[in-house]
Amino acid sequence: MAAHTSASPDRDKGPNALSSFLAGVGSSFLEIAETAGGMTILLGRVMARTVPPRVDSRELLKNLYKMGVKSLPIVAVTALFTGAIMVIQAATIVKRYGAEGLLGWGAGFGTLREIAPLLTALMISGRVGANNTAELGTMVVTEQLDALRVLAIDPISFLIAPRFISIVSTLFMMTLFADALALFGAAYTGEALLGVSPTTFYNGLTSGLLGFSDVATGLVKSIVFGFVIGLASCHFGLATTGGAPGVGRAVNSTVMASAAGVFVLDYLTSFALGG
Amino acid sequence: MSNAVAPGPESQRHSHEPIEHPYEDLGAVGALGAAAIDLMVGGRELYSVFVRTLYYVARGRREKGALVRQMYEMGNRSVFFLSVTMGFLGMILVYQSGLQAKRVVPDFTLLGATYLELLVRDFAASLGALMLATRVGAGIAAEIGSMVVTEQIDALRMCAADPIDFLIKPRFLASIIMTMMLIIWSGTVAFVAGAFTAYFAFDVPLQTFFNHQLVDYGDLTVGLTKCVAYGAAIPIVSGYCGLSTFGGSEGVGWATTRAVVNTSLTIIILNFFISGAGFLIFPG
Repeated sequence: MAAHTSASPDRDKGPNALSSFLAGVGSSFLEIAETAGGMTILLGRVMARTVPPRVDSRELLKNLYKMGVKSLPIVAVTALFTGAIMVIQAATIVKRYGAEGLLGWGAGFGTLREIAPLLTALMISGRVGANNTAELGTMVVTEQLDALRVLAIDPISFLIAPRFISIVSTLFMMTLFADALALFGAAYTGEALLGVSPTTFYNGLTSGLLGFSDVATGLVKSIVFGFVIGLASCHFGLATTGGAPGVGRAVNSTVMASAAGVFVLDYLTSFALGG
Repeated sequence: MSNAVAPGPESQRHSHEPIEHPYEDLGAVGALGAAAIDLMVGGRELYSVFVRTLYYVARGRREKGALVRQMYEMGNRSVFFLSVTMGFLGMILVYQSGLQAKRVVPDFTLLGATYLELLVRDFAASLGALMLATRVGAGIAAEIGSMVVTEQIDALRMCAADPIDFLIKPRFLASIIMTMMLIIWSGTVAFVAGAFTAYFAFDVPLQTFFNHQLVDYGDLTVGLTKCVAYGAAIPIVSGYCGLSTFGGSEGVGWATTRAVVNTSLTIIILNFFISGAGFLIFPG
């Protein structure tokens, strides 16, 4: 986000290095503030269209299919590998303490609370958020949004609100899938690598150390991430300027803003939800 | 590629076809076959880009300043982004694992050591590389994609300059060097952020937290192997996505999207294989 505006190397030299550095910091700060403000205003506009619902239902269904159903393979692959990686990482510790019954609990805790929502959000941000920015950016660059306005069609309720709702609900559902598939992958990696049978693994999951609150924490996070990704991708898509390179730049800023926003909000949500 | 004008339901569907490849009319077996052929063709092209990059690393012409410029572009400009994300990640990881430890054994003496071991072996490299894939990978694909669309790549070929030598090779070298540096730096940031979280949230003294007794050569080897592998994979995959761009400003957007997704997937799959191999080679 902020890296765009940092001073170029030759400007750093010379007597004005300090002032140009300060100018760089200031303009990055202003840029971040502008993005955050733009996203908040966009959120307000989208929310204004939801009560009473003034959202194009055909667009909504189409986007749900395109974003949700078509993302399944990527989410499935990511989740299976992630579950496997979690077990490989936990394997060393499990071996050291000989606590094989705790493998399910250890891998499950990390996966449900943290890794599955986080990695699903990153993949969806790449697959869906970036796609969405590219599409909206192309529409803006080719003046299709102006054409909509000329036809007295509200671009927010026709284009933005369906996409935003689709992204949020896609991420929520994909996180549910990812939770299940990651634990599935983890159970069988545990058997292949450590000889811990899947039954022991599932017993460790359900023996009482993990509760519904762990799953719920992950799902609440996924909704928060969905808001960030949806807002970032719509905001940067609408703010695209300057032809083909502009679309590329917009996509780039979307994925960066989504990633940074996801990590920062992950931390805040973890703290807010507590143990 | 039809030029989608109004975002009506029909015209918009067509505008996505080049990348989405709807196989609906092929039947299930046909769709599977088409997907498999696509995957094979993509894999072969990717392999060819990789081999040609390696060839030019050894034999290609050296352009003065290109490497340094790319290193600045990838490295210095990602420091802020990576520090912020990895700093927050460090805080989350320690906070979550502290909560986890509290439920079973209320003993935090090995929290820092275990965290450092996991960070060195996996999290610093893999999550840092995922962040770099979005930052650097999307940038490479957008830049090269715009060049393809504006026919600058064809102009390069006309001048008898292979775009791989001229564009991908400097990015490849710069990425291997800078990924390593950025991951070491951001791992440090994540560890220090984690130490302060442990200090404030669970009253773990900093002296107890800064404990490297669990990190051995196996962990370091696996972590550094990951750095090199990811550093090599990011520019190759996203450069390939950029070079295979077609179709105007929309195409650049698609190429950037594909670069982010494919690079992230490559990192996760590489992580699986390197972690698995690391576990089998250095058990315990």
